[in-house]
Amino acid sequence: MAEIKAELSTDTSNLHISNSSGNVSSQSNNPLSRKLNKILETRLDNDKEMLEALKSLSVFFMENSLRTRRNLRGDIERRSLSINEEFVRIFKEVKEELESVHEDVHAMSNCCEEMTNRLKAAKEQTQDLIVKTNKLQGENHRLEVRSQVAQAFLSKFQLSAAEMGTLRSARHGPITEDFFRALTRVKNIHEDVKVLLRTNQQTAGLEIMEQMAVLQETAYEQLYRWAQNECRGLTQETCDIPEVLSQAMEALQERPVLYKYTLDEFGTARRSSVVRGFIDALTRGGPGGTPRPIEMHSHDPMRYVGDMLAWLHQATASEKEHLEALLKQVTIQGVEENMQEVVGHITEGVCRPLKVRIEQVIVAEPGAVLLYKLSNLLKFYHHTISGIIGTSVSSLLMTMDEMHMLSKKMFFNSLSLHASRLMDKVELPPPDLGPTASLTQTLSLLREVLASHDSSVLPLDTRQADFAQVLSCILDPLLQLCTVSASNLGTADMATYMVNSLYIMKTTLALFEFTDKRLEMLEFQIEAHLDTLINEQATYVLTRAALTHIYSCVQQHTIEQGPLANLPGMDSTSLKTAMVQFDRYLASPDTLLMPQLNFLLSAAIKDQIFKQSTELVCRAYGEMYKAVTNPVNGYKEPESVLHRSPQQVQTLLS
Amino acid sequence: MTTAPYNYSYIFKYIIIGDMGVGKSCLLHQFTEKKFMADCPHTIGVEFGTRIIEVSGQKVKLQIWDTAGQERFRAVTRSYYRGAAGALMVYDITRRSTYNHLSSWLTDARNLTNPNTVIILIGNKADLEAQRDVTYEEAKQFAEENGLLFLEASAKTGENVEDAFLEAAKKIYQNIQDGSLDLNAAESGVQHKPTAPQGGRLSSDAQPPKEGCSC
Repeated sequence: MAEIKAELSTDTSNLHISNSSGNVSSQSNNPLSRKLNKILETRLDNDKEMLEALKSLSVFFMENSLRTRRNLRGDIERRSLSINEEFVRIFKEVKEELESVHEDVHAMSNCCEEMTNRLKAAKEQTQDLIVKTNKLQGENHRLEVRSQVAQAFLSKFQLSAAEMGTLRSARHGPITEDFFRALTRVKNIHEDVKVLLRTNQQTAGLEIMEQMAVLQETAYEQLYRWAQNECRGLTQETCDIPEVLSQAMEALQERPVLYKYTLDEFGTARRSSVVRGFIDALTRGGPGGTPRPIEMHSHDPMRYVGDMLAWLHQATASEKEHLEALLKQVTIQGVEENMQEVVGHITEGVCRPLKVRIEQVIVAEPGAVLLYKLSNLLKFYHHTISGIIGTSVSSLLMTMDEMHMLSKKMFFNSLSLHASRLMDKVELPPPDLGPTASLTQTLSLLREVLASHDSSVLPLDTRQADFAQVLSCILDPLLQLCTVSASNLGTADMATYMVNSLYIMKTTLALFEFTDKRLEMLEFQIEAHLDTLINEQATYVLTRAALTHIYSCVQQHTIEQGPLANLPGMDSTSLKTAMVQFDRYLASPDTLLMPQLNFLLSAAIKDQIFKQSTELVCRAYGEMYKAVTNPVNGYKEPESVLHRSPQQVQTLLS
Repeated sequence: MTTAPYNYSYIFKYIIIGDMGVGKSCLLHQFTEKKFMADCPHTIGVEFGTRIIEVSGQKVKLQIWDTAGQERFRAVTRSYYRGAAGALMVYDITRRSTYNHLSSWLTDARNLTNPNTVIILIGNKADLEAQRDVTYEEAKQFAEENGLLFLEASAKTGENVEDAFLEAAKKIYQNIQDGSLDLNAAESGVQHKPTAPQGGRLSSDAQPPKEGCSC
């Protein structure tokens, strides 16, 4: 505002100067001249002020009259006044405007000042806040890092919500692959968390460990319940083990108790299925009666028992397969034992129906041969099924063994009974001294037994084992029987009868394996009786040739008795008579045969007896010849008494 | 569920019969193990093998009973015909006697199995062409006369072994489709696995299963 005032004042002073210039010119040395000079010097064209002044003057100075000239000053002054007034008036407006502007500016200034103050205050106030914010930002960053660490920690040591859900939902839904994955993770976490225990995060470690342990337990429990239920449902005739169930067993092996209980449940379910299947096969058979129910063949014991055992063999093999499928992923020790145990349990149910039926068959006394075949069949299946179940104690195997023992016992009982019946009523030897009817009948029984033994399904070594028993059970009483029945016969008759009986036994046995020892024994006994027969035959020949007396005299003769020729009946004439008889024998030795020899069944034996008895006769003749030709014995012309030399006799008889 | 709930839909029971030494056990071994067993011991009684095959898109488990050919086991092996869906009757193309005995084996098979049991005649040892004693045509005619399937195979090279088992299975499956084989009976030699609900059953006290719950 001051500046504006200053400007105004200069403008006014300028005006005064221009007004006073006219006065100046009329002064100086000679004021007028000076004035004139000045006017003359004045270059009007260049004096813009003058020009302006004149121009302004021309506006209102219209007529150049005296009056106007006189009034010029007044006019100008008046005009100046009015202009100044006008100026003042306008300027007043301006001033007022300026004042208002000033006020506004002032107000603005105040405002600004206030704002500045406020800003300053705010600045002071926010200083704190900024510091705080910075601090918080730092904090935030730190926390973010921690959060990441925590996240990593959680993902490492905690289950995801989905996994948790899987573990939990198992209670309501089926077990799936995800469940096993989650379970494996729980297990892994439980393992990994042990690392924490070595750091200073022990509390967390322990807590997580505990948490995982709890989770694991509940998961195993749920899995167990599920598996148990699954197993409970496996009661169809043939069951297909779902993959998931095998996995469940793999997981459950970590908990031996649950694992075992699940297996038990499986066993129980299968057991009832097998029993049902067995009973169906026994009583109902196949569709429309084919295959026919097994019991339809109960009249044929071998087929009946064989079909039952074959069915069980097949069922056992199938059950073993099911178990193999169930436990294929289990890695713990003793899986094989587990399987055998469970198969044992599964087949336990059929033991009773099986036992009852086989016992019925055995008790019905189907005869020794059938009993023997049954016992072999049972033994065979015992062997076959134990190949599947193993040799562990199993009811089925025990039952089969029991039945095997029973049938074997009944078989031997039956043999013994047969033998004792023979002894009760001893048959006398027939007139032809051949084998008795009871002997041939018993031998045919033995033949049947041995034949079934030969075609037995058992391996050789097993077969050989009870062979001795069978043989002694039949042969020993038979031998005894023969001896007893022959006890009242004469020597030759008895020997013939015994040779015949023994020979029959021998030929029967010779057809079969493992009889060598017995055959040897029989051979030995035959030899003994043969000796008897040979002696008898030789005696028979000598008696018929009337040489008995002579031969016994020759044998018993001693020097003290004097010459042999002096003994009664030993004179040359008697000897010559006897030689006539002997010559007749030499002519046809076959005519002098004991009648018993013709009853011998074996021609070979007969020949042997004939040959050996002839040798004996030759030897006896040799001795007599030696005695007669001995001069001490006082025979004159011994050549005429015994005109054949021993060599001649030998040649004639051979 | 990533795994199928069941491994197979049917079980077929087979029996392998024929004279001693025709290679029954070797055929089975070749089929189940895909290997040739050079010096195979005599079978004692009956042996057992399984394999899962596919017939018309259906998984079928074959349960195969391999019988001993020795005469002394005849009584035992007869018990195994019971409920067989298929019978493989094997002879040795290099030994005529084994071929001549076929009628006796066939009689047993016919008497002891179901009327719709599929019987396939197999001439084994087809690799020994030089020692052939039974012509293909002769055996083929025998098979046709008796309504049998027929193949010559070699357990040694594996030729036709797979087919022998498969052909019989196809025929059995066809019988099932025709309805000539009743599956509902226990001892038809075929067992069908009904499609059970996915996953497990629930105990009676548990909540009812949520529909479509896949977890």
